[in-house]
This record gives sequence, C-alpha cells and structure tokens, in this order.
Amino acid sequence: MPRKSIELPKIEYLSILNENGELDKELEPKIDPKGLIEMYRYMLLARRTDERMLLMQRQGRCGTFPQSSGHECISMASIFNINKDDWHVPAYRELAGLLWRGWPLESILLYWNGFEEGAAPPEGVNDLPVCVPIASQLLHAAGIGMAINMEKTEKVVMTYFGDGASSEGDCHEALNFASVFKAPVVFMCLNNQYAISVPLSRQMACETIAQRAVAYGMPGIRVDGNDVLAVYQAAKEAVERARRGEGPSLIECLTYRVTPHTTSDDPKRYRSDEETKEWVLKDALPRFAKYLDQKGVLPEAKRLEMEEEIDKTIKAAVQKAEVMFQSDELLNPLHMFDYLFADMSPALQEQRDELAEHFKTKGKDWTNPQKKEKTPASPRA
Amino acid sequence: MAVEFKLPDLGEGIHEAEILAVKVKEGDTVKEDQPIFEVETDKAVVEIPCPVAGTVEKINVKVGQTAKVGMVMMSFITDGAKAEEKPAAKNDVAREEKKEPVAAAAKSANSESAKVSGGSDHATNGRVNITGPVPAAPAVRRLARELGVDLTQIHGSGPAGRVLNEDVRSFAAGKLEGRLTTAERPAQGQSAAGKGDDKSSKSDKVAAPSLKDKYGSGDGEKSGGAPLEFAGGNLPPAELPDFTKYGAVERVPLKSIRRKIAQNMTIAWSRIPHVTHFDEANVTSFEPLRLKHDDKVREQGGRLTLTVLTLKAVCSGLKKYPQFNASLDERSGEIVFKHFYNIGIAVATERGLIVPVIKDVDKKSIIQLAQELKDIAEKTRSGKIELDRLQGGTFTITNIGAIGGTSMSPMINYPECAILGMARAADKPIVVAGKIEIGTIMPLALSFDHRIADGAEAAYFVRHIIERLEDPFTLLLEA
Repeated sequence: MPRKSIELPKIEYLSILNENGELDKELEPKIDPKGLIEMYRYMLLARRTDERMLLMQRQGRCGTFPQSSGHECISMASIFNINKDDWHVPAYRELAGLLWRGWPLESILLYWNGFEEGAAPPEGVNDLPVCVPIASQLLHAAGIGMAINMEKTEKVVMTYFGDGASSEGDCHEALNFASVFKAPVVFMCLNNQYAISVPLSRQMACETIAQRAVAYGMPGIRVDGNDVLAVYQAAKEAVERARRGEGPSLIECLTYRVTPHTTSDDPKRYRSDEETKEWVLKDALPRFAKYLDQKGVLPEAKRLEMEEEIDKTIKAAVQKAEVMFQSDELLNPLHMFDYLFADMSPALQEQRDELAEHFKTKGKDWTNPQKKEKTPASPRA
Repeated sequence: MAVEFKLPDLGEGIHEAEILAVKVKEGDTVKEDQPIFEVETDKAVVEIPCPVAGTVEKINVKVGQTAKVGMVMMSFITDGAKAEEKPAAKNDVAREEKKEPVAAAAKSANSESAKVSGGSDHATNGRVNITGPVPAAPAVRRLARELGVDLTQIHGSGPAGRVLNEDVRSFAAGKLEGRLTTAERPAQGQSAAGKGDDKSSKSDKVAAPSLKDKYGSGDGEKSGGAPLEFAGGNLPPAELPDFTKYGAVERVPLKSIRRKIAQNMTIAWSRIPHVTHFDEANVTSFEPLRLKHDDKVREQGGRLTLTVLTLKAVCSGLKKYPQFNASLDERSGEIVFKHFYNIGIAVATERGLIVPVIKDVDKKSIIQLAQELKDIAEKTRSGKIELDRLQGGTFTITNIGAIGGTSMSPMINYPECAILGMARAADKPIVVAGKIEIGTIMPLALSFDHRIADGAEAAYFVRHIIERLEDPFTLLLEA
C-alpha cells in the first residue's frame, strides 16, 4: 500500500493585455470592433456615473452606495459573453454590466436613493436586482442554474461576488451544489483584496481563490481583473462550457478596490495611499483605451466625443431622476409592502392597510390610484 | 436666486461633522462640483463639492466647528437658470417628507399630527418646530421614561430635531441641578445607603476595613445611634375559631420549654427580616479523614463529626464576616459586634428544642470541641444541662442531617444575627471535570438578619465555611 500523490489540476493565471498596454498577440481574443467600442463605452459610462454619484452623495443628493470604479472591466468583459435571456445575478459593483443589460441610469439613481422601484429589472433581460447581503446571491445563481437544467434549456447564469464573500458559508454551498448538479453557472469573483477593511491576508490562508475550484471539482482560473481581454477570454470559455452542459466554472479576477468600500468608509484608516496609487496605475480603462487607439478601433478624438456624449447622458438622467424623486408615485410609502411577495401575505396586507388608514387621518390618501397599476417584477426563467 | 446648502448625511446615520477646511470665501464665484468644504464625520474625512454654480453669498460655519446634519452651511446666489440646482434643493425636502410619514407611522399609537417643518427652520440651530409626537428613538424614549423627563420639553439636537440620548440626559441633569439649588437636598439615608452598598460589594476583597469604616462612624462608644421605630409593634392575641364544632379537642397549657420556644420564635419572626441563603458543600473528602482519626477522638471521649468541623469552619467565617456574629440594638440604633465566638447547637429533646452553647469556639481544638459537643448534647437530652451553658450564644448551628430532609429554612435564634442549617450529607451524582461521579454533598442553609447583613455577604460567608469543610487543611493555614 504505497503512499503516493494524487494528481490535481493546476491553476492557470491569464493576462493578455498587461498594465503597460502590451498585448500578447497569440492570446488576443477575436472581438469585432463594434463590440470592443460597446464594452469601452459602458465601462466609461459606469465610471463617470460612479464619479457623479459620489459628488451627489457628498452634496446630499444620493444615499450611501458602494463605488464600482475600478471594477467595470470584470463586470463588462464577462457579461458581454451572455445573451439577453441568460441570467445576470449581480452583487453590487456590477454597474457597467447592469447598464449594458439595459438598466436605465435613473433606476440606478433611484435604487441608491432608497426607492425600491429602482430595483425593478428592465424588460427583456433576465436580471436579478443588486444584491447587498454578501454571498447570498450565489445561492440564487446556483438555484437558477439547477432550474435551467430541469427545464432543459441552454441558458447560463453569470454571477458575481467578492473576496470577502468567498469566506461565507453561502459561497461554499453555492459552489458545491452548482458543481454536483452541473449547474450552468459562471462564478465571477471580484478579488479586490479588501472586505471593507479586512485585507486578503486576513481573509484566507491560500494563495488564490481560484484553487478552491479544484476542491469543488470545477475548472478554476485566476485572471488579471483589470485586463478586459483576459476577463473576456476566461468568461467566454466558461460560458461555452456551461452551455455545453459541462457545469460551472470559477473565475478569480484579481483587482484592487481603489475607492472606499462605500461612501461611508475611510480607507486611510486601514491602508496606505502608496498601495492604492500603485493600483490606480493598473486601471483597466486607460490600457483598454490605448489598445483600442492602437488598433484603430477608437481613436482619441472619437473617445473624447464619447466622453461628451456620456456627460450629457448622465446629466439628463440625473435631472430626470431628481424630478422622479419628488413624484407621489415614487414617494408612496405603501410601496414598501408591494414587492416582497407575488401575493401579499395577510399579515403584510393588514399592516399596509393600517398605514394607509393612518395617512388618511392625516389627509393624505396614498391608496388613491392615480398611479398606473404596477406589477412587481417577477423574473421567470 | 439664493440657494442654501445644508450638511447632508455623509455616511449611514451620521448626524454631525467637524469642519476641517472652508475652501471658498464669501463673494467668490464658484463652479458646480468645485470643493467647498472638507469635513470629518465619525466615519471619514470627505470633501464636499459645490452643488451649484454661482456666487458664495454667506458662509455660516468656521473651521473647527461641528455642524449638525441639516444645518445650512453656505448660501449661494445663482442666476436661477442652472439645470440641476432646483431639483437639488427640493430633493432634500422631498426626502425629508418621505421619511416623515414613516417615522410617524412607527408611532401610530400617538395619533396626534406629526408635522416636522422642514426647510429654513433648520437654519439657525438645527432644531425644528414640532407639534405632536417628538421624534426620538425607542431607546431614547425609554431613557426619558426612566428619568421622568417629558420629551416634548426637550429641543432635539439630532437631525431634523430628533431627540438624542445626550439631550435627555442633559435635560434631566439640568432639572436635577435646578431642584438642588432650590434648597432641597437628597435624602441623607439615600446617600448613606449608596455608600454602604458600594463597600459591602467589595467586602471580600478589601483587606479588613474597620467596622466603623464599613458601617459609618459613631461619635463615641455609646452615642451615634438612634432608636429604630416600627409601625405596628404589639399585635393583640389572635382569635381562633371554635374547633369543637368540628370535633373533639384537648386544650393543654403552653408551658415551660414550649412556651419559651414560642415566645422566642415570635420575637425572632416578627422582629427580624429573615433571608435564607442556600449552598452545598462537597464533603466527600471528610469520610476517609473521619475513619482515620475517629478512633483517637473516641478514645478521648468525643466523636469526630461534620458538626465539629462545621463549628471550626463557622468560627473562622465569623472572624472574617463579623456581621454574622453581631446583634442589632433597636433601642440605641447600633450594631453590636461581639468579640467572642459562642456557638449554639440546636438539640432536639423530648420536651422541645434546646440550644446549648459552646463557648469560645475559637480558642478550642477540634478534640476539645468534639468532647464538649458530645457532653452538651447528652446533658441537654437528659435534661441535665447547666443553665449558664444555655446562654450567651452569638451564632447557632442546627443539624437535621440525622433525621433527613434536603434543606430547610432555619429561624434565627433571637437576638443573634444568623443560624446555619446543616442537612443530611448524602451521596449524589456530581460533575467532576465533565464526568459524573459520586460525591458526598451536604446542603447548607444560612438564615440571617437582613438588617445587618446582605445576601452577597451571606454568600461569601457560606462559601468561606464550605471551603473549610471541603478541605479542612485550610483551617490549619489560618492564624
């Protein structure tokens, strides 16, 4: 009875377009120019929206929100591989992906101003709303993947989580079941090296998150999370595998949270500016812009035009949203009861009626249906 | 047109911020999103960008100042044509309105109208004019109830006039101060009681404070006390129903020992507020010791029993906790601490309970105590006990272990302070280091005069005794 090693798959690292904008020609994925521009635009739109929202938050015009700047590449380059009827199960730094999927900018602004209406996914895509409870969305993703298998369709699920979420039980359960039941799920880990103030070194003792894929019996890879081409390529392969019925994959995208965790956080208390500056230089947007420029896909002049167009788009959306903030339609407090269940429970209905009655005694009838009938968004596979 | 900029909630539930820098001056022309302030909240240092383009009209804050959320920090003159400025100002109000009904709903029991007036009422001091329910968190409401503070009289310093814990406390403090300056002083008894509590809780740790330190100093040996007054002292004898209606009865005069017992118990029960404290001693180690030494003790006319050992342990405890060796003098209002240790042993006789006393227990060896215990028990039972051996006790032990029972609530032998009841030491399952073993457990019950001693002291006193019963060697370690 010999003592021998068990052969396990090796974990790959993938980088195609490095931080200096140098391209590995052999690995370069074939993406048509229109697609490249589209990706860049939504990444830029997300970046500028994020910046705008930060200013608005400081001016008292937006609630607390987690910034997504620096994470656009992971969201955009992965989601670009799925179709409208595939499933998008985001966490909360997937702004680029949400916008690309067709979420209106106003919805984003509504959501982070506390209006539940902002969580309603747009028509025509299978998206779940932003998910703030850490790692819980992974179970939804695994469950949707298992449902897809039962329905025998070829849809796939793209879901997102952070390095902090990787320590939670939900993450383990989701990865394990997805793998056991060959659920067509692509698990995108945004390893930005900080769970609020907890650095990666206090999060895990292993070298990569990707290597956990071996334990779950699924393919795993670590990619440069600021490299659009690498994220795209890894996600593309994972989506294809999932669609072929070969089950889930784990893609660890190594990046860095250059912003505070949320607008309430002060990273100066737990990390150095030097560390952050180093990573700012590795930002995905400039290297992608350089790549597009050199490829002749998006020359600088065109890019500046795009900046202007985006600036206008955001201004218009902010103006529209701030008008919406004042509409009775959205301010109606009774709406907070409306979207949890398809059929409201009797207890909840009772509370809703009681609150409505209370407002009536104050001379405000929120039940008065001058609003159009709203049906809660109920996503179906 | 003029636009005001109010300090927004920059984090989650932030209610104030310190101004670190003001980056513009009055009269400056400003662009939208240009930094105007740097402020620090509980959570972070943040830069505040200008919400509008225009001219700075007035700056209401200075560096170093703490501004409350909702306070107008700066006002601007704009040309009124700027696209985003109007919604920005309105948004603030809109959100406030959104919050208000919800807050009001939470207090639906109070059905008066809750109108938080928004807008410029914030301007001067962050307070709001409120009619109806006062905005305050449940914890704050509870504090107010506890302190007897009327919330409607408080100006909240929180966002939108919310009343905070600090507001309630400072209001209550102000009220108290006002009361004190109008010639009322807190009741003396209260402050003295507070002092006493404080000390007694530490009594086991602080190295032997003098009795006067502990109980408050009298001016001399005799003076310093005052008679205690009781409401309802002498009750008329109670009436009984006519039992003969129900059957035959026999009437016997209450005489002799029975009469004495009845008198003593009535005094003890009606005079002394009794409390009984229960504990258990694991005396497993005593039986092997007893077997080893009992023959020698018997040779000298005694018997080595748990009662003998308990006498020694109690005596040790009384030295450490003298309040259990004391009496309350109701007439002089003094506690009489006794510097002698005469321990009574309750003996059941055919004629009733008799308590002979073993004098100067502290000065006697275990052998001597064993001899004397045997002697007084026998003499008491046979009615031959000398009168002077029935007097002068300072503490009593009663052992019902020979008969049975799991515990008891013994009555104090007036005018002593306390009595220790010993129940049967029996083999019981006990948990030792996570395993169940058989141990010999003796339940103890200490009744004491709560006027002189407190429950915590009783617990320490009984633990002290138990430590010596469980490990008699400890007695040797004492001076």
